Amino acid sequence: MTDTTADLLTLQVWLSPAFPVGGFSYSHGLEWAIEAGDVTSAASLEGWLGDVLLHGAGRSDAILLAHAQAATAADDLDRLAGVIELAAASQPTKERRLEATAQGAAFVRAVADTWDDGGFADLLGRIAPRFPRPTFEAVPWTHAVAVGVAAGVAGIALEATIPAYSQAFAANVISAGVRAIPLGQSDGLRVLRRLAPVVRRIAVEAMTADLDDVGGAAIRADIASMRHETQYTRLFRS
Amino acid sequence: MTTRTAPSEISPSLRLERARGRAEVAFKTREGATVLDRLFQEGQAKIRLPKSHGRDPATAVLINTAGGIAGGDRLAYGARFGAGTRAVVTSQAAERVYRSSATDGSLAGEVTTWLAVEAGAFAEWLPQETILFDGAALDRRLEVEMAADARLLLCESVVLGRAAMGERVENCRLVDRFRIRRGGRLVFADTLRIEGAPGEILAGAATGRGATATATILWVAPEADAGLEALRALLDGLESEAGASAWDGMVCVRLVHGSARSLRDDLVRVLLHIRQADLPRVWSC
Repeated sequence: MTDTTADLLTLQVWLSPAFPVGGFSYSHGLEWAIEAGDVTSAASLEGWLGDVLLHGAGRSDAILLAHAQAATAADDLDRLAGVIELAAASQPTKERRLEATAQGAAFVRAVADTWDDGGFADLLGRIAPRFPRPTFEAVPWTHAVAVGVAAGVAGIALEATIPAYSQAFAANVISAGVRAIPLGQSDGLRVLRRLAPVVRRIAVEAMTADLDDVGGAAIRADIASMRHETQYTRLFRS
Repeated sequence: MTTRTAPSEISPSLRLERARGRAEVAFKTREGATVLDRLFQEGQAKIRLPKSHGRDPATAVLINTAGGIAGGDRLAYGARFGAGTRAVVTSQAAERVYRSSATDGSLAGEVTTWLAVEAGAFAEWLPQETILFDGAALDRRLEVEMAADARLLLCESVVLGRAAMGERVENCRLVDRFRIRRGGRLVFADTLRIEGAPGEILAGAATGRGATATATILWVAPEADAGLEALRALLDGLESEAGASAWDGMVCVRLVHGSARSLRDDLVRVLLHIRQADLPRVWSC
C-alpha cells in the first residue's frame, strides 16, 4: 500500500522552488517570446505555456518521467538507460539541453546527498557503467527523468509524481514570466490555476503513453529557445 | 507500438489495394570516387540513379510509384554510405499523403527509413516536402546510425494542405520521428506530432502562430558548431521564422511559415548555405 502522506511530503520538497536545482535561472525560451512580443500579458502567457505543456516539453517530459519511474520500480536498467538517453537526445536546442540536464544533475546530487536511504546511490552506481563515462555525474540526467528515478526508488505513486512534476515545471515558467513580463504575483498564480486542467490532462495521458508517444509541435517555442541564445539582454540561462 | 496495424487484421482483399514497397541503396568508394555498391527495390518503392554531372555527388532518387501515400501503405527505404563515400538521397517529387479511412492512427501510412553512415562518409538525406491532405494519417520514422567522424545533412519538411489551391486540413495525424545515433549513442531524437486539427494545434504563439509549413534541418559534423554564426546571419534574412542552435557537433535548424512556397525557398537557401553546392536537380524540376 502506498503511503499517500509520505509521498506528498517528499514530492513537496523535491519539487519546491527551494530545492537546489536552480530552476529560477531557466525560462524555457519564454524570455525570447516576451522580447518578440508573443507574450505580453497573463492571457498570452497562459496560451503560450498551455501549448508548451500540451504540445511541447510538458507532455513529453511527463511521458519520459513515467517511463523512468516505471523502469526504476521494475529495476529494469536496460529500459532505464534507454529512457535517460532518449530524454537527453530529445532536447532540440543547446539551452534547452542545458536547462534539462543542469537541473537533472543538480537534482540527482541533492537527492543523493540529502534524501537517500541507500537505494538511490545503489541505483546510480549500477546505471553509470552503461554510459561512456561511468560516473553518475556523467550520466545525461534530465530533470524529469531524475525525478522519475528518485520517485521510483522511493516507491512514490506514479499518479502523484507526474502531475506534481508537470505543475512544478509550469510554475517555474510562470515565475520567469512574472519577473520578465512583468506580471503581478496574483496574475501568475491565476495562470497556474487556469492551467491545472492541462496539467491533469497530460498527467493522465502520460500514465498510459508509450515511449514512442513523445514529441509535439511547439515549433515556435523551440525557435524562441534558439533565438534566446543571442538575445542581447537576458535574465535567464534558457 | 499502438500505431502499427497488424497484418493479420487486414483482410486479403484490402491488402491488395495498399501500397507496399522497399528500396535500398548502398554506396562505396572506388579509386577515390563514390559509386553504387548495391541496389534493391520491390513493390512501389523505386530508386533512380541519375548520371552525376561534374562535381555533383553521387545521387539516388527515391520514387514512390503509387503516386502518394494512403492509410495502410507501407514503404521502407534504406541507404548505406560506405566508408569515405559522399552521396545524396533525395526524392523525385513532393510526397502526398491522402485521406485515410481512419485518422485515429489505426490506419496510418507507414514510412520507415534507415541510413547507415560509415567512417568518414558524408551522407545527405534531402527528400522534398511531404504534403498532408485533409484526413491524412502518416507514421514516419527515420533511423540513422553514423560513425563518430561521419557527416550527415538531413532535412524534412511538412506542408499541411495546399493553401494556394484553397485546400484546408481540418484533421490529420502526423507522427514524424528522427532518431540519430552517432558512435553507438543516441545523440538526437525529434518527433513532430500533429494529431487532430492542425489549424488549432498550430494556432498558438508557442506552436505555429497559424503556420501551415515547417521544416527541420539537422547538420551533424565535427565542424558543425563553428558555422553557427554565419548560418544565423542567413536565417535573419529569410521570410520564414527560423532559429538555429548548435551543440556537440550538431546544428539543428527549424523553419516555420504560413506559405509552403516561401518555406521551400527558404529551405533551399539554408541547404545551399550549409552544403555550398546546388541542390539535386529534381528539386528544381
